[in-house]
Amino acid sequence: MSFVPGLGLAKGMALTLRRFFEPKVTIMYPEVRLDPAPKFRGRLQLLYDEWGTLKCETCFQCAQACPIECIDMGGIDTRGRYHVHWGAPETYGERREESALRRSGRAVPDPAYQPFAAVDLGKLDAILEDYDHDPDRMLQILEATQAAYGYLPVAALKRISQTTGAWYAMIYGTASYYAHLRFEPPAAEIQKAAVDAHRPPETAYLAALDGALSGSGRRRQRSRPVADA
Amino acid sequence: MTVVAKSWNRLTLPGKIVFTVVPLLIVLTIVAVSVIVLLGPTVIDILAANIEIVRFVVAVTIILLITVPTAFLIIYMEMKVIALMNLRIGPDRVGPFGSALSVVHGLKVLMKEDFTPTGADPLVFTWAPVVVYLSAVMTLLVIPFAPGLFGQDLNLGLLYFFAIGGLSVVGLLMAGWSSYNKYSLLGGLRSAAQVVSYEIPLTLSVVGIILLAGSLSLNKIVENQSGWFTNWYVFQQPLGALIFFIAATAEANRTPFDLTEADSEIVAGFATEYSGMRFGFFFFAEYVNVFIISALTVTLFFGGWNAPFAWPWDVALSLDPGSYGIGMLMLFAIGPVVLTLLFAAPIWLASARVKWWQALIGGFVLANLFLITLGLAGAYIGLAWVAGLLWFLLKTYTFVFTFVWMRGTLPRVRIDQLMDFAWKWMLPASVVNVFVTAAAIVVVSTWRPV
Repeated sequence: MSFVPGLGLAKGMALTLRRFFEPKVTIMYPEVRLDPAPKFRGRLQLLYDEWGTLKCETCFQCAQACPIECIDMGGIDTRGRYHVHWGAPETYGERREESALRRSGRAVPDPAYQPFAAVDLGKLDAILEDYDHDPDRMLQILEATQAAYGYLPVAALKRISQTTGAWYAMIYGTASYYAHLRFEPPAAEIQKAAVDAHRPPETAYLAALDGALSGSGRRRQRSRPVADA
Repeated sequence: MTVVAKSWNRLTLPGKIVFTVVPLLIVLTIVAVSVIVLLGPTVIDILAANIEIVRFVVAVTIILLITVPTAFLIIYMEMKVIALMNLRIGPDRVGPFGSALSVVHGLKVLMKEDFTPTGADPLVFTWAPVVVYLSAVMTLLVIPFAPGLFGQDLNLGLLYFFAIGGLSVVGLLMAGWSSYNKYSLLGGLRSAAQVVSYEIPLTLSVVGIILLAGSLSLNKIVENQSGWFTNWYVFQQPLGALIFFIAATAEANRTPFDLTEADSEIVAGFATEYSGMRFGFFFFAEYVNVFIISALTVTLFFGGWNAPFAWPWDVALSLDPGSYGIGMLMLFAIGPVVLTLLFAAPIWLASARVKWWQALIGGFVLANLFLITLGLAGAYIGLAWVAGLLWFLLKTYTFVFTFVWMRGTLPRVRIDQLMDFAWKWMLPASVVNVFVTAAAIVVVSTWRPV
């Protein structure tokens, strides 16, 4: 028998009557205070926005703030360019190898970092030497790197991570926090490089013209593409 | 400036008050004493000649006065019981277990601004809460609290009850109309529709009892239910009792039918523009109504002031204090001491750590409790009205608790569901109840084995 008239009412009334006699959850706040664990920070939760995507932007602020370092996270940066990981690599089996390599000081062959263009690391090594490979002076290192390259190449960040011992994710977090640090060259340069790549005859012609006119004292109007890009 | 004015100006404010009030009191006392001495016998003669009127006035006054603590008690019950059902503690600061909080609420309401909106009809606006409140209070006049303890034993008691109770619709409409606010007016009309709709099944559900009891007097109805609890009308009129209970819930605007002032949904219905004590009167009327419908349910269906069981043997206290003579005096002198020592002895013997004075204090408290219990038991056995009042209040507050319990449990119905239920279910069911009861009475009285 699924439907008995008034059964729902009776069930509800019985429930409230049981609650009536149950112990109460109120804490008499000013007199009585809860004694939570000193590192207690409430409940952690990953939220989704109204389109069903994670609201997490991989900023690592929660991981940095976590007092017991229990947050271990990895993800793609906000523009979907490259992989970042925060936390002890030992927590992921596949990253054990990288961890060992990193500690040994050798380059880490992580496929996640492969697609990114290599840059001439000579300038960066000089900068790192200047700053004594000190991770505490990360912001200055990053600013000097940007001054040298015009932006912060992924390979350079990787190098900084290897030599200073700071986690890549921590460097990424620092760099992404400051508005004046950028991860890619200014848009004008990118556009010019793209134009150049699509018009090889024109580029070749301009290069030949440039070579022919180099001795005549006439100034070039257009700057050449960046050599190391 | 005269000497009197100068010395008056030197007084502080309390001094001014004392120097005004004390002479006034002295003069008033002299006047009162002389009036009593001179006119006392005449006044008593006049009062004795009109004992019915005196009784009525006294009853009305007492009933008006007892509604205030009753409402306070029910408001406190509501706060506390619902809190406990929500796993909260509820009021616990003012008074023992927070019991004075409702009094504080009353004072708060009293101190608030008494606001009348522009365009409102001030006369109707002011009288609407009074009409609502008085229509609730006046119905208490016919409810028998205990044998001999009632305002007036009308032989049309039940009719009077419904007639006066129906007046509250007038008050609601007055409030809605005079507020000069279309939402108040709509709220008033809604309330009126609800109360009028449920008035019909409420009244019809009682007709069965009237047929059974053969009387409209509530005292007669209660007396018919004396003896064991199987004599209660709820066992002869279960459908009537159910309809009455539901309709009374709607009539008193209680959850799940509290659409007139659904405090979590609409502003306040007809009471939107009310503030201060005028709003307080509506509030009071609601809680007095809870008491009244509980009392009427008990009176009609649950035996009123009758105990649920009859004593199997006759208990009569045959105490004649006069016959003890000097022994009575000795009892008053020695009894408390002996009892204290008697109750102190086990405490003293129970543990070696208890000091003698602690044992004596414990014994004194226990002896007092024993005497109070004895006195109450004696009053219960010896005085019919004490026992009746006890049972009546016990049953009534059980129902008050049920109403509060329902408020803590049930969700509110929609207005169309409310109306559907009244007209499509309650009204036919109550009519069926009347016909079945009448037929059963005819059948039983015709074929009763003689």
